[in-house]
Amino acid sequence: MWMTDSHLSRRALLRYGAYGAGAAALAGTAASWDRLTGADIPGRDDGSLVVATLGSAFDPAAVQALSAGFRKLHPDVPLRVNAVQAVDWSDFFAKILTQIAAGTAPDLVYVATEGVQLFAQRLGVPLDRWVRRDAAELREYFADVHPSLVESMMYEGSLHQLPVEFNAADMYLNRQVLNRAGAGFPPADWTRDDFTALLREMKRSSDSHFTPYFWTNRLWGGVVPWLFDNGTNLLAESRAPGGSWLWDTFYPAADRAGRGGGFRWTTPQATSARVEETYDYLASLIQEDLCTRPEGGNGTNLVGVFSTGRVGVTPAGGFWAGGLHLAGMKANAYDVQYFPRWRTQRMQFGAAGYAMLRTSKKQDAAWEFIKYAARKDVMTELFTANQTTPARRSMLTAGRYRETGPTRWQVFYDTLDKFPDTGPIPAPPQVAEVTDVLLKYTGTALASPRSVAPALRRMQGDLEQAMERAL
Amino acid sequence: MTNTQISAGRARSASAPPAVSVRPPARERGTRLLTALFLTPTIVGIVVFTVVPIVGSIVLSFFDWNVIDPPSFAGGANYREIASDSTVLVSFRNTLVFMVLAVALQLVIALSLALTLNGRMPGWLRSVFRSAFFFPLVLSAASISVVMKYLFNQDFGVVNWLIGLFGIAPVPWLTSEHGAMATVIIVYVWQQFGFSFLLFVGGLNNIPKEIHEAAALDGATGPRKHLAITLPLLSPTLLVASVVGIINALQVFEQPYVLTDGGPGDSTRTVVMVIYERAFEQLRFGEASAVGVLLFVLIMAVTAVQFRLSRRFVHYQ
Amino acid sequence: MSQATPTLGSVRYRLAPWARIAGLTVCALLTLGPVIWTVSTSLRTPAESFDLPPRIIPAHPSTAAYRGVFDQIDVWLLALNSTLVTALVAAGQMVTAGLAGYAFARLDFRFKRPLFGLVLATMMVPLQVTIVPVFLVLKSMGLTDTLLGLIVPAFPTAFGTFLMRQYFLGMPKDLGEAAMLDGAGPWRIFRSVYAPLATPGLAIVGVLAFNYHWNEFFRPLILETSGQNYTLPLGLVSLQGNLGTGSVSVVLAGVVLSMLPAVAVFLVGQRPLREGITSAGVNR
Repeated sequence: MWMTDSHLSRRALLRYGAYGAGAAALAGTAASWDRLTGADIPGRDDGSLVVATLGSAFDPAAVQALSAGFRKLHPDVPLRVNAVQAVDWSDFFAKILTQIAAGTAPDLVYVATEGVQLFAQRLGVPLDRWVRRDAAELREYFADVHPSLVESMMYEGSLHQLPVEFNAADMYLNRQVLNRAGAGFPPADWTRDDFTALLREMKRSSDSHFTPYFWTNRLWGGVVPWLFDNGTNLLAESRAPGGSWLWDTFYPAADRAGRGGGFRWTTPQATSARVEETYDYLASLIQEDLCTRPEGGNGTNLVGVFSTGRVGVTPAGGFWAGGLHLAGMKANAYDVQYFPRWRTQRMQFGAAGYAMLRTSKKQDAAWEFIKYAARKDVMTELFTANQTTPARRSMLTAGRYRETGPTRWQVFYDTLDKFPDTGPIPAPPQVAEVTDVLLKYTGTALASPRSVAPALRRMQGDLEQAMERAL
Repeated sequence: MTNTQISAGRARSASAPPAVSVRPPARERGTRLLTALFLTPTIVGIVVFTVVPIVGSIVLSFFDWNVIDPPSFAGGANYREIASDSTVLVSFRNTLVFMVLAVALQLVIALSLALTLNGRMPGWLRSVFRSAFFFPLVLSAASISVVMKYLFNQDFGVVNWLIGLFGIAPVPWLTSEHGAMATVIIVYVWQQFGFSFLLFVGGLNNIPKEIHEAAALDGATGPRKHLAITLPLLSPTLLVASVVGIINALQVFEQPYVLTDGGPGDSTRTVVMVIYERAFEQLRFGEASAVGVLLFVLIMAVTAVQFRLSRRFVHYQ
Repeated sequence: MSQATPTLGSVRYRLAPWARIAGLTVCALLTLGPVIWTVSTSLRTPAESFDLPPRIIPAHPSTAAYRGVFDQIDVWLLALNSTLVTALVAAGQMVTAGLAGYAFARLDFRFKRPLFGLVLATMMVPLQVTIVPVFLVLKSMGLTDTLLGLIVPAFPTAFGTFLMRQYFLGMPKDLGEAAMLDGAGPWRIFRSVYAPLATPGLAIVGVLAFNYHWNEFFRPLILETSGQNYTLPLGLVSLQGNLGTGSVSVVLAGVVLSMLPAVAVFLVGQRPLREGITSAGVNR
């Protein structure tokens, strides 16, 4: 069986093929040795200032421009920007952690609200002394950035990041679906009941492959905005003392009233009446088929179903304008409005900026980069596609949103300006466990009728455990 | 091989004393050198890149380590902790349920298809089918899970539309506990069955035609009889397919991670997901290592049981 | 058996060819369905992505999504890196698995069984458990953030070694004995008698290595830092856009592009692959 002719000749052929492939492989390996060892990457391990960003946040051209501009400004500081290609925050964090474990951590890490306090507590350096030193230079920045964003980057009285972008949860409404339902665009002071009624109208006027309201099962855009709306939070929220050094220097009296040294999220209150009421409301929407049960996992392309009119309303931030445009949605085919009023009309946001690592040996240079990255011209170059909301008020202009929409683009920043109590998602240093627990029990609570109360009881137990655990 | 008895007979004669005494010592030295040379790349690589890290993980499982601060000795605290942690326990249950259902389904589908394909049909058609069934294996599990998430969406997905054509009401594939587990299993099996399938195709090809002819002469006809003769002959293949299938299934990660993120609740959280979350999301590397050690022990135990069972049920020709 | 059963059986047998082919066709369509949907959606405009019934033939076919992929990521650099990693891993695994598989099948040495057990046991360790220690080992070798750091640790292959052992065990022993009687040494016996017969087995090791490492995500994510060292699966992630706002069509176009080389390797390697697998599951 092994020695038949056809086998032999083909085998010989294969053998010569293998020799050829082997030789080619050897030659190829030799030729690409520099590629294999990374020796062809300029400026590697040369003591550069290393900045790690989340790769999907900026496109490569923007990152190029970012580094080029900094080099022109500080030719003496070699810079390397590593855009980590992670699917989500936890992948990104896994990568950074491994580097920290190996002692090869970057100097600066792009951190969103989720990680602000974790970094501040365990890894970061307060920026206070530099901010004080360069106060004159920064006055223009702070005047352009809402204090709520700045406050969300504070931890126990110290500032840890300069916010460069944020996304507040507003309601996106599909105009085509509104028209089909014969409904007008809701006013800014609409109520939760108006919202429910609108969903019913949408449902009535559409076929079975349509869902009036769609949401994500995350801290941001999931249950939490409704908790805020109902005047509560997952964890009891209070303000740390301190911070007046910053408020008194940069903000007028009206803006600094009630500000503190950053949020403290402590006691879990998942079993409180307000939280339960919020879940009951969401459960009732699901019961009525006005919204789907929340999905876990990543890779949801909500943009796709919303832009094609299979979803009528969904919570999203400024980042969606760019996404809808990419998906082919016309600028006037949708619009945004604030969350409807329930007990309050407090809304929720997440922000991001660069955090400096304690282990960095180039902290002064790192500070220069932080300042540079918060400049208006730099941010303008970076945020071109409306895949996020710039933290600077003056960058939100009619021109910016002309091509992508929405018509009511002012809503994005007015969510902060007109509602000064709008706050960050609850993200204590134990944020990862809090998120996991929230995701898990929200899924259970809303997976079947009458499971809200038991699920919240278990959520409370797990949250208490998580919050007690020192990191 | 077609005739193992013959080669087994030869093997016996080869190891007979005369052959050994004839062998010159130089040859023996050569063999030893050759053995060392042949084994070195694999063994050294495994020691450096697997054994050392595993030992590191085992050591780490007795420490508290958050990556940021130096590790501190914790004794058996991590193991005690996970023993009373409902998420960990549920993840082991989920993983075992997943393993049993996924491997069983995978083997049944693969075997049925291989047997069906074994019947008479044009060669090119056989080849087309064979390629089709193997195809999902060349795809990335993570990418295809992203695609599957669209397809299994309750409201907009193609799957519910398809079953709707047969009058079946939409299934909450990803948002109910049973639906989610079913989806993870379906997506996993869809991608993996091709491997077992090819193993079976190979195994069937190696069953000599004479055996079926002999059986037919004895009056054994019909599909069931056919199977009764085929299965024992296929049992070595079945062993390999199930061992590899089980080892892989116990480490399932991408599909539930992308499709459901372990939910709703903990219903699709697998052991490897818990390891990932504990380590990289919650900075509890000691606990993550302890869970990893338990998983390793479980896989070893299951594999050992399989090999033990195989001594009774696997027939070599 | 009763008189009725054989009749029933033979009826079923006569019906079988058509029923069989029909059944297999349905199964093949179910298997390829998601792939077909992916390809066709990548050629549609995003607005048509979610049409039900799905339009397999796009109403307005468009390659815009593919241009989008090339605009957004450096496909060529990513593909070069992926090719280097995958090809070298595949070649390396063929060598290590071929040699070790032969040793375990045809050579006698002490601790053979425990060593083979050790090799097999490495299949049972999830990557997520060992990645941090592996990173530390690579760092001590200066191989983090290099492509070599992805390649070298992947050289030993448990399944490949197992497969090649099965493969060599399946070859008639008398071939080697005949050569030995002719005075061939152990190296010559391997080199001239057994190794040439092992090509299909090696091909399957290569193809499996290619499939696995071409699609690998977690190791490159953790081990590579510089953008210049990213592999294709890492690059494709950025197509999903900030907070998942990327276009579906572009994401799927990326999936299709990354699928092509794996398909090509599969088609080229299919025949040896089949033969390789055929003998894998059969002997002890």
